Amino acid sequence: MNKDLKNTLLNPIFKGNPITVLVLGICSSLAVTVQLKGALVMALSVIVVTGLSSLVVSLIRNTIPNRVRIIVQLVVVALMVIVVDQVLKAYAYSIDKQLSVYIGLIITNCIVMGRIEAFALGNKPWPSFIDGVANGAGYGLILVIVAFFRELLGSGTLLGFQVLPDSYVPNNLVILPPMALILLGCIVWVQRAIQKDLQEK
Amino acid sequence: MNTNSNTYTVIYTTIIVVIVAAVLAFVAMTLKPLQDANVKAETISQMLSAAQLVNDSDLQKMDNRAVLSKYSESVRTAFLINSKGAKVRELNTEEGSIELADNLKEQNYNIKGAGEPNLPVYVFDKAGEEIYVLPVYGAGLWGPVWGYIAFNADCSKIVGAYFDHSGETPGLGAKIKDEPSFREQFAGKSVDVTGTKLFSIVKGGAPEGATGAVDAIAGATMTCKGLDAAINTWLSAYKPFLATQMGASLSQGCGSCGENSGDCCGGGDCGGSCNGSCGGNHQCNR
Repeated sequence: MNKDLKNTLLNPIFKGNPITVLVLGICSSLAVTVQLKGALVMALSVIVVTGLSSLVVSLIRNTIPNRVRIIVQLVVVALMVIVVDQVLKAYAYSIDKQLSVYIGLIITNCIVMGRIEAFALGNKPWPSFIDGVANGAGYGLILVIVAFFRELLGSGTLLGFQVLPDSYVPNNLVILPPMALILLGCIVWVQRAIQKDLQEK
Repeated sequence: MNTNSNTYTVIYTTIIVVIVAAVLAFVAMTLKPLQDANVKAETISQMLSAAQLVNDSDLQKMDNRAVLSKYSESVRTAFLINSKGAKVRELNTEEGSIELADNLKEQNYNIKGAGEPNLPVYVFDKAGEEIYVLPVYGAGLWGPVWGYIAFNADCSKIVGAYFDHSGETPGLGAKIKDEPSFREQFAGKSVDVTGTKLFSIVKGGAPEGATGAVDAIAGATMTCKGLDAAINTWLSAYKPFLATQMGASLSQGCGSCGENSGDCCGGGDCGGSCNGSCGGNHQCNR
């Protein structure tokens, strides 16, 4: 793997993370992080959608008429999202019900369209696919971190298994969306403390 | 080639849309049987939950197969009835070919006058006792609401209920499903088959000790009204059946027993001999 490709893969996961640095996809990261299982499935779904739609758009990038390119991209993204939704309905029905509208709303997730516009339209299929997957993974990583703390502190469980002793009283505030925003803020804080060049003057 | 010409753009978008539609149609058709199986298992698990055969936390751990086999082993019989309460036909309850009446929407139109309804009755066996599970269906605020109400052997008491919805507001209307305490209220209540209002979901709280009413959910007025209407519409359609189960026929005027009709007709002992001339002690003349 050459250096450019490695950078394409690793940059979105930490240094250019779509949630904490680009602040995209905040809405769903607040909504689906109550339980770790839901967050994992959501993360996987977004990785598949960003990866495949970047790949497909990159494959047809030279044929897309410029005036309707956003619509063509949207059709491709919508296709991937509906396929993912249908597969989840068939193989993970209870999780699909739990995630409800948020799977469908991946279409509106700025990360997907953003990466297609910024990367896939101007790059070869393979790097575009890597870029899509990496951005999905960067999004998923934050989702999983937030969901880890929210499920642990909010329900005393992890992936549905009791981990904290019964004497721990679950903190209901953690279940509510505001706490997800606070946790997200803490992650941004930690990241900027490590990575000084992200700090605004 | 000029990719910006009008002709190219129109042809290009048409081809893309046709390809995408074909892929989606293929995916939807391939996955349909699996999705239907999931929906079927969910419907059954809602009935099992209403009948209190399995508690909710166990139900979440059961996979489709476990749900289907639990249904087959605990169901005694299932059949369709018409508006007179007469049995139309049996539904298959064998594990491999479980048949459910999943056309509640269509039956809802039939109840309201579009045709002759075929209403399902599921009879479960719970430790030797019969449990009757009846569906209800109606319009909530954003979409349909439906559910299952389970009655004891003589249909005089509700043993449990389960409700679901397709798109009620999370935290408000969705509480008909998500709030166990709302559903739990139904246990121990009874349905008044003699009146026009069989059951009420009361905004502002049901009166203390009311047998045929439960508290509505705060902030979910329209959902509760819709559910109230669904329950009343459907249980009205089941009235002849419920009355037979209770051992009293409506035509014989047990309604004259007033609000204490339960004393008279609820026991099932009166049978066909209840002539409605209830004494002062609300006992039937036999």
